[in-house]
Amino acid sequence: MSGKRKKIVAFLCNWCTYTAADLAGTSRLKYEPDIRILRVMCSSRVDPVFILKALMDGADGVLVGGCELGDCHYQRGNYYARRKVAVAKKIAADMGLDPERIRLSWISASDGPRFAEVVNEFTREIEEKGDTPVKHEAYV
Amino acid sequence: MIREIPRVGVYVCHCGANIAAKVDVEEVARFASKLDFVESARDYKFMCSDPGQQLVVDDIREKGLNRIVVASCSPRMHEKTFRKACQKAGLNPYYFQMACIREHDAWVTEDPGEATDKAKELVQGAVSRVLHHESLVPRTVDINPNVLVIGGGIAGMQAALTIADAGKTVYLVEREPCIGGNMAKFDKTFPTLDCAACILTPKMVAVGQHENIELLTYSEVVDVEGFVGNFKATVRKKPRYVDMDKCTGCGVCNEKCPAKAISEFDQGLSKRKAIYSPFPQAVPNTPVIDRDMCIYFKKGKCRACEKFCEADAIDFDQQEEKITLDVGAIIVATGFKPFDPSVAERYGYGKYPEVYTSLEFERVNNATGPTEGQIRLKDGRVPETMAIIHCVGSRDKNHNAYCSRVCCMYSMKYAHLIREKTGANVYEFYIDIRSPGKGYEEFYNRVQSEGVQFIRGNVAGVTDKAIGEDEKGKLIVLAEDSLSGRFLRVPVDAVVLSVGLEAAEGAEAVARMVGISQDQDGWFNELHPKLAPQATPSDGIFLAGCCQGPKDIPDTVSTANGAAAEALSLIMREKVEVEAAVSSIDAERCMGCRQCETICMFDAIEYDSALNVCVVNEAICKGCGLCASTCPNKAIGVRHFGNEQILSEMEGVML
Amino acid sequence: METCSPFIEVNEAIREMGGEDLNNCMQCGLCTGSCPWRLVDGDFSVRQMIRLAQLGLEGYESDDVLYGCTTCGVCVQRCPREVAIIDIMRSVRSMIMETGAIPKPLQAVVGSIHSNRNPWGEDAEKRVAWQKELEVPVFDGTQEYFLFVCCTSAYDRRSQQIARSMVKILRAVGVSFGIIGNEESCCGESVRKIGAEEAFQTLAAKNLGLWGEKGVQKIITTSPHCFYTIREEYPGEDSPVQVQHYTQVLASLLAEGRIALEEPIEAMVTYHDPCYLGRHSGVYDPPRSLLTSIPGVEFVEMDRNRENSLCCGGGGGRVWMETKAEQRFSDLRIQEALDAGARILATACPYCITMLEDSRKTTGAEDKIEVLDVSEIVVRAMGL
Ligand SMILES: Cc1cc2nc3c(=O)[nH]c(=O)nc-3n(C[C@H](O)[C@H](O)[C@H](O)COP(=O)(O)OP(=O)(O)OC[C@H]3O[C@@H](n4cnc5c(N)ncnc54)[C@H](O)[C@@H]3O)c2cc1C
Ligand code: FES
Repeated sequence: MSGKRKKIVAFLCNWCTYTAADLAGTSRLKYEPDIRILRVMCSSRVDPVFILKALMDGADGVLVGGCELGDCHYQRGNYYARRKVAVAKKIAADMGLDPERIRLSWISASDGPRFAEVVNEFTREIEEKGDTPVKHEAYV
Repeated sequence: MIREIPRVGVYVCHCGANIAAKVDVEEVARFASKLDFVESARDYKFMCSDPGQQLVVDDIREKGLNRIVVASCSPRMHEKTFRKACQKAGLNPYYFQMACIREHDAWVTEDPGEATDKAKELVQGAVSRVLHHESLVPRTVDINPNVLVIGGGIAGMQAALTIADAGKTVYLVEREPCIGGNMAKFDKTFPTLDCAACILTPKMVAVGQHENIELLTYSEVVDVEGFVGNFKATVRKKPRYVDMDKCTGCGVCNEKCPAKAISEFDQGLSKRKAIYSPFPQAVPNTPVIDRDMCIYFKKGKCRACEKFCEADAIDFDQQEEKITLDVGAIIVATGFKPFDPSVAERYGYGKYPEVYTSLEFERVNNATGPTEGQIRLKDGRVPETMAIIHCVGSRDKNHNAYCSRVCCMYSMKYAHLIREKTGANVYEFYIDIRSPGKGYEEFYNRVQSEGVQFIRGNVAGVTDKAIGEDEKGKLIVLAEDSLSGRFLRVPVDAVVLSVGLEAAEGAEAVARMVGISQDQDGWFNELHPKLAPQATPSDGIFLAGCCQGPKDIPDTVSTANGAAAEALSLIMREKVEVEAAVSSIDAERCMGCRQCETICMFDAIEYDSALNVCVVNEAICKGCGLCASTCPNKAIGVRHFGNEQILSEMEGVML
Repeated sequence: METCSPFIEVNEAIREMGGEDLNNCMQCGLCTGSCPWRLVDGDFSVRQMIRLAQLGLEGYESDDVLYGCTTCGVCVQRCPREVAIIDIMRSVRSMIMETGAIPKPLQAVVGSIHSNRNPWGEDAEKRVAWQKELEVPVFDGTQEYFLFVCCTSAYDRRSQQIARSMVKILRAVGVSFGIIGNEESCCGESVRKIGAEEAFQTLAAKNLGLWGEKGVQKIITTSPHCFYTIREEYPGEDSPVQVQHYTQVLASLLAEGRIALEEPIEAMVTYHDPCYLGRHSGVYDPPRSLLTSIPGVEFVEMDRNRENSLCCGGGGGRVWMETKAEQRFSDLRIQEALDAGARILATACPYCITMLEDSRKTTGAEDKIEVLDVSEIVVRAMGL
């Protein structure tokens, strides 16, 4: 790994993916340090506006993490999250932002290794894309 | 409302070396001290310790802090601790925010420099979030005083009895026809060698008769809803086809039934009838009809049991039933299943009839088992030599990497029983003897002095290919004795495989249902491995016995009592504080579109047609935030997870 | 009893040179108990060697101990701690290689690798002499496959039949292939196992360079050893080169209906899984599917088969070393094949052929059983 670190913001649901991130920690799994984790109670809390704002503020990537479909602590929140993320991608594309900088993953609470894997994968993808053009073009 | 000027205190925890070894905590504190509105920033060895918390309390009082940020472990771990500290100092607990620099940083980042940078940004995020926090008053709700126990092994029984004795109602759900779990199959128990039935039967009877225990056998929990203090569990009662109220347990039906099936309880070593009780002392002693084996169900006639039942208890029309239970706490005690050794070919299990699993051997030893407690080969001979192989499926990364903890001890129990009952020579093949426990090492010594041979070597194979005369007709166990460095061929009459323990069948479904997690091996995760071993991250859900990892009976019983005590301590509180972080709708901005009402997964939103606005019922709202992210007018806020709070944290971590 | 002090520097050196798992061993003895050496009279004990190596005590490096290992992989497959035991062997052997104190026959092998690019002391300029009248096309990038003929199949007379059989089959089926020529070098697998790490790296680089230059994309190997090392040990994670053992290629051709096995072979046939094709590479079924598709063949398994196959004794450099008559695994294997009632013992590896043919002769089983490579059997069944 070389060069400057990327800015990756992650919105993780409290019950599954955030717990998986905790588990990755307790299992001492090492992963790329670019990610900044924010806790929300459910992935359905993630407003497309959050995602777009993150990208417009210069985030290189945004990860949304929720429970496996069917396992949402609030029953069906992640189905809504799936739609919201799709909307965010669509709007991002319309705005000229790269929708591939947005990723949605289902990671169950017991899957620490999967969390580390997803972070590494996503970080690598973002690395390959390079810095977000946003800060250079000075979005308003 | 006039907002006071924020005065933030930041505390960076070393967590011993857990954080400090990776993150330059002093540097992080120095960085934090320069952030806007930060009054004081310091680092400390253990923030969660009493003096650590006191630091926060004193600073709030002395320095007039009104916002607190602690950078340490996950909020899932200690958020409550620090909220309490704030409260103690008179600060509303919601003026607190945690930055997770241990699980999400120190433990997962390779490079110290990068870990320190990440910690700084996480702290910055927390500081900018806490500026937008609001004072909230936690809501309280009544706690339902009933407890649900899932699994009726010794763990579930013990937990149920302890709670019932305290005068509270317990629902004990067991999926088998009777309670007792694995222990009911044993003959003797190490290290004291008391007979399992002698100590277990009275307990089973006590459970069956306790006025505060409602026993639901042959039943499974299929759904759990709700939250701490107010769970709703749906239980599916499988039809027994025998009326429990009428049946006297006389056993005539069993005698008269013409259909035979393999006895699961005897591990396949004997036969049972289609209408059966797993074993004579079963609680409850009402038999069940095995629908797949019953001639009447298969062919439409027979009903022999019905003809002979004087109590008129047979009921072929019984249907599956679903009932719902309201409970305040749930104890999970689903236990374990033995490792299946047929996947490890080299032991010859399934190929040679004289290779037994330990659970099979328990039945062989048991007076109610297939040989009435006598150790006999399949042809009826008394064995002259036997081998016991330790660690089958355990301490082996090809199967289960962990040590199953009880196998060394129960193996030595067998060695003793074999010596006692048959005088046969016994060889124990082990990797390391693990005998930590009261009287355990002494038991090891006792068995050695009884003439049992211990061979330190992981067995390479069991074969019937004889070389010499003395091997003819025997099973030959092949292993290096790693202490003498010699390769041994040990001819024996029978082999017992000391199989390890694995999480029970269906554990995953249980975990999903009650909202707890499993570790990589399938065992349920406790809230804290040392300090909260019976609690789970899901409030109101507790663990007992082997469902959280292999244990012997003494430890199982202790954890069961521990879980019972925690459940009791919860329900005795009568009221529980629940998250204040629920939604609220700003009537000024709401345009009455009713989208939130449609999508709310809990029906917590109602439409007020008079005012043309939607209103949140806070008692029902669970705070998921779906409505807030859906409202087209941004009229809905989630307390503590409001747009401002989340976005300011986001800006903070990105700076 | 000898008094010693642990020499931890040795432990560290072994771990640095590729035996990273050294300290994970818990000395349970499953390796030693499962080792084919237990079937013959011999002192070689994997566990003990690892113990001595962990403490850096003398004894682990003696010829009988260290070079006894055939790298058959039974112990690795079973090890409860998943210790890469062969890597430890390799690492220790590399250390000894650096001191020059390796067994004599292996010195000759390393010398020959340097001067001839093959381990057999044969002339590099005669590498493709095996083809004789066959006039195999020269690979120039236009053919689909490059047929990589193992040094053993190139120089050893018996083994040459494998290469020649392959040419006949591929030609008859109409697969486009070629060989490069005398510039080819040994794959380096066994060379690496005897500890000549540098020589191995040089060979790998040379081969990859040559293949790159010629535009090789798909390789068929005659030996499981070449197949394994190219697939698993050659540098470059996403190598564009795709390698298959010939049994895999032939089995797919058979499945596609391009090979017709019509000449009956009326015999009981058994199959010996080569360690590097079976345990090391997980290829068990293709050779079996070829053999069982031949009319007349009555296929039987030996007692030890597939994952539990018994090593022929030729891996890990043992093929170049003298093994005492009473210590030959291949003798036992011939007996096992006879016990199974087989008249043909099939296998798919030049080393196995060499070892088993030897044993067939020295144990007086010449009239009782034939040792044949699967490729040779396919040639017969195709009537070529
Ligand atoms: C061969 C062997 C010999 C042993 N000998 C000894 C000994 O001598 N001394 C000693 O101290 N320890 C011994 N142990 C350990 C002992 O078995 C355990 O400590 C003890 O049985 C654990 O009890 P438990 O209630 O946690 O689990 P279990 O006995 O497994 O009981 C779990 C119960 O939950 C039920 N259940 C599972 N899933 C569900 C579900 N989804 N819904 C409803 N019910 C469910 C099961 O049917 C079962 O009745 C031995 C273990 C083995 C394998
Ligand atoms: S709680 Fe995890 S997605 Fe809803």
